[in-house]
Amino acid sequence: MARGNARSRSRKGSSSRGARGASKTAPVKKARGIKGIDNPLSESVLVSVSDKLGIPVSQISHVVETIGEVAQEASDTDEIVKEYKADKSALIQILLEIQRQSRWLPQDVLMSVCEKLGIPLSRAYRIATFYKAFSLIPQGRHHLSVCMGTACHVRGAPRLLDRVIDAIDIKPGETSPDEKFTLETVNCLGCCALGPVIVLDGDYHSNPSPKELEKLVTACD
Amino acid sequence: MARLRSATDLGKKRQSILSRRDPSKPCVTICSGTGCHALRSDQVAEAFSREISSNGLRAKVDIRRTGCHGFCERGPIVVIFPEETCYLGIKPEDVPEIVSTTLVKKQLVERLLYKDAEGKKVALEGEIPFYKHQRRMVFGSNRLIDPKSIDDYIALGGYSALAKALFEMSPEEVLQTVKQANLRGRGGGGFPAGVKWETTRNAPGDIKYVIVNADEGDPGAFMDRSLLEGNPHSVIEGLIIGAYAIGSREGYVYVRQEYPLAVSNLTVALKQAHGYGLLGKNILGSGFDFDVIIHRGAGAFVSGESSALMTAIEGIVGEPRPKYIRTAVSGIREKPSNLNNVETWANIPLIIDKGAGWFTSIGTEGSKGTKIFSLVGKVNNTGLVEVPMGMTLREIIYDIGGGIRQGKKFKAVQTGGPSGGCLPESLLDLPVDFDALTEAGSMMGSGGMIVMDEDNCMVDVARYFTEFLADESCGKCIPCRAGTEQMVTILNRICDGEGESGDIELLEEISEVVQDASLCALGQTAPNPVLSTIKYFRDEYVAHIEQKRCPAKVCKALISYYIDPEKCTACGICLRNCPVEAISGGKNLVHVIDQDKCTKCNTCFEVCPTRFDAVVKISGEPVPAAVPSGTEMVRKKGKQE
Repeated sequence: MARGNARSRSRKGSSSRGARGASKTAPVKKARGIKGIDNPLSESVLVSVSDKLGIPVSQISHVVETIGEVAQEASDTDEIVKEYKADKSALIQILLEIQRQSRWLPQDVLMSVCEKLGIPLSRAYRIATFYKAFSLIPQGRHHLSVCMGTACHVRGAPRLLDRVIDAIDIKPGETSPDEKFTLETVNCLGCCALGPVIVLDGDYHSNPSPKELEKLVTACD
Repeated sequence: MARLRSATDLGKKRQSILSRRDPSKPCVTICSGTGCHALRSDQVAEAFSREISSNGLRAKVDIRRTGCHGFCERGPIVVIFPEETCYLGIKPEDVPEIVSTTLVKKQLVERLLYKDAEGKKVALEGEIPFYKHQRRMVFGSNRLIDPKSIDDYIALGGYSALAKALFEMSPEEVLQTVKQANLRGRGGGGFPAGVKWETTRNAPGDIKYVIVNADEGDPGAFMDRSLLEGNPHSVIEGLIIGAYAIGSREGYVYVRQEYPLAVSNLTVALKQAHGYGLLGKNILGSGFDFDVIIHRGAGAFVSGESSALMTAIEGIVGEPRPKYIRTAVSGIREKPSNLNNVETWANIPLIIDKGAGWFTSIGTEGSKGTKIFSLVGKVNNTGLVEVPMGMTLREIIYDIGGGIRQGKKFKAVQTGGPSGGCLPESLLDLPVDFDALTEAGSMMGSGGMIVMDEDNCMVDVARYFTEFLADESCGKCIPCRAGTEQMVTILNRICDGEGESGDIELLEEISEVVQDASLCALGQTAPNPVLSTIKYFRDEYVAHIEQKRCPAKVCKALISYYIDPEKCTACGICLRNCPVEAISGGKNLVHVIDQDKCTKCNTCFEVCPTRFDAVVKISGEPVPAAVPSGTEMVRKKGKQE
């Protein structure tokens, strides 16, 4: 089954949600699938709508952009649910796919999935809170995992974790307030020869010293 | 891709693949398993590709990215066929020399060869002690196969066992063969696979499921992943044969989503098997239909338990359910469902191909065949090892593993994953099989083998495992949920120096309840780490509780760091590296640790150069008073003597 990897469309980061408030003056992005905003609106259209409604242009662009994002998200969700034939027993697989693309599970998305599958929202929440793979809050731009597997533990993983906590000032399971880092602990990455090991955005680092950690952290934007 | 419509077609396919391959043509294989990948083996592979092209050798040399070879300690690993010259720890910058020396001039690059303890160099992979003492019948093909190429697998005789089962054997005969082979489940339980198959086969109902359990949740174990990543077709072939014997038309592979490479290699493999007509309708023209669905697990240790895993496949939270009726009779959607571990399935093609007699000739009385272990921790040669059942712990740790790192003293080996037990030095000559390990208070589990040395505190290790299990307990039954939690509380207390007399007995008492009254295997085996450490290392518990001393100097609350004024040379390294500025001193002034500020992070101990060895860890004794003011000048005796 090619389900898990059939889709290679680039994933949307959580920042697209967080950025809504900040990008009021940004040019209007193409919003797919909503009648009337299929194409970027021209400056003159915006000005004319602004005149008629007595609302500043920037606010209109923001509304259009938000509608576009929400529509995109809804159509992404639609597509994922469709891919699994709206099968209730594929709920975990559907949520994994959404988590992979958005890096978290927004409430409105969960509601829409449950509606489509005809199941209560509580079931999605039960799964989302039971499994480690899911997050109900947006994740940071940089993902740092510290392996706490047995092999790493006996080689000093707890001390390495302390150093990492010192370096980025958040605890495991937390995301920094500026959404820069998310720190998590994992139970074995299977590269025990490197232990104790951390993974920063997919790159493995064997037992970095405080100095090396500082370097790695400052290199992240 | 043409469908193969008969066993003859498969044979012809194999012949045609082999006829296009020249066994004497050099082939550079680069291990691309997770361990080597983490060490940037992909860059090594790219460097080979570039270098071979620029030397005009493109047509004369093949390059193959294979799955895990097992010797993770010395990755990235490069083996050059047909000689099987093995180069270890290869960096992209080593590649031009390998190409010009070995591929062009047919000479060895001495500096990249394995060197044994006496400094003797070993060129051939099979002669490296790490490999020499193994018997790699399940795992051995990994090094010969590009996991994304079904042709590589077929070239080695792949799917011929399936053809044999489908055309030369009845389902009953396949079942009998597996029963006679006495293949026991490699996932932990050690239940005879044939007996389980028979139960599902005989259970009423037309719809039956077969499942591969690749939810390898044990920290420190990665053999299932390496098999699935490196040789996915061997698992698929085993599964199809099992389905044929059991009478199932639908199978699942439950694989952790934390194993993305395994998921993607498996996805490719299933697609290729479909293309060749080895999956789907009318497999090899035999009339047998079978298909496989991948279900990705979302990260919960308890979901590896059979009933929990099946619940998860139904799309519900993966919690165990009472097994008054076995899952073999009532599993997924209450249909008979047979679940086996990855390694168990990978053994099936070998048993069908070579017969039960061959299989039972390997191993011990009660445990047949081989077992793959992940040998990790404080051992010199970390990696995956496959050995016949019955090999002793000592042979595995010393002959294959190369002994303990940095010449330290062996203390314990933990087998069986979080619910296994710790075995002491006195049991090093224990032959490793299902029954001997259980008898010693541990278990086979999925094959994790974590070696610990004198610097590991056994109470801390017990706390680590119990914390893990308390965290992973799903909470459905009270003995496991509350029992493991209470055990963690007590263990924390002991490690924090607040242990009370009677704590050991209390731990034992709770353990008994958790073992007897828990719903699933997670709870039933959860006390193993505590009980086995109390059994073999009781003195460490007593030292923590009565003398407030951690003999291995691990438990933070019970240790202190101080700088020996006789040895300190005032080099300033510890002072500069201390993250909390707890160290004072200066040029020619003995450095002193402020005990109130010290967070016991161990940094000073690690950075103090071994030739000085001035930072000392102590436990159970008071910190010596600082040198009186005015006399803290460093005596430069080292230089005067």
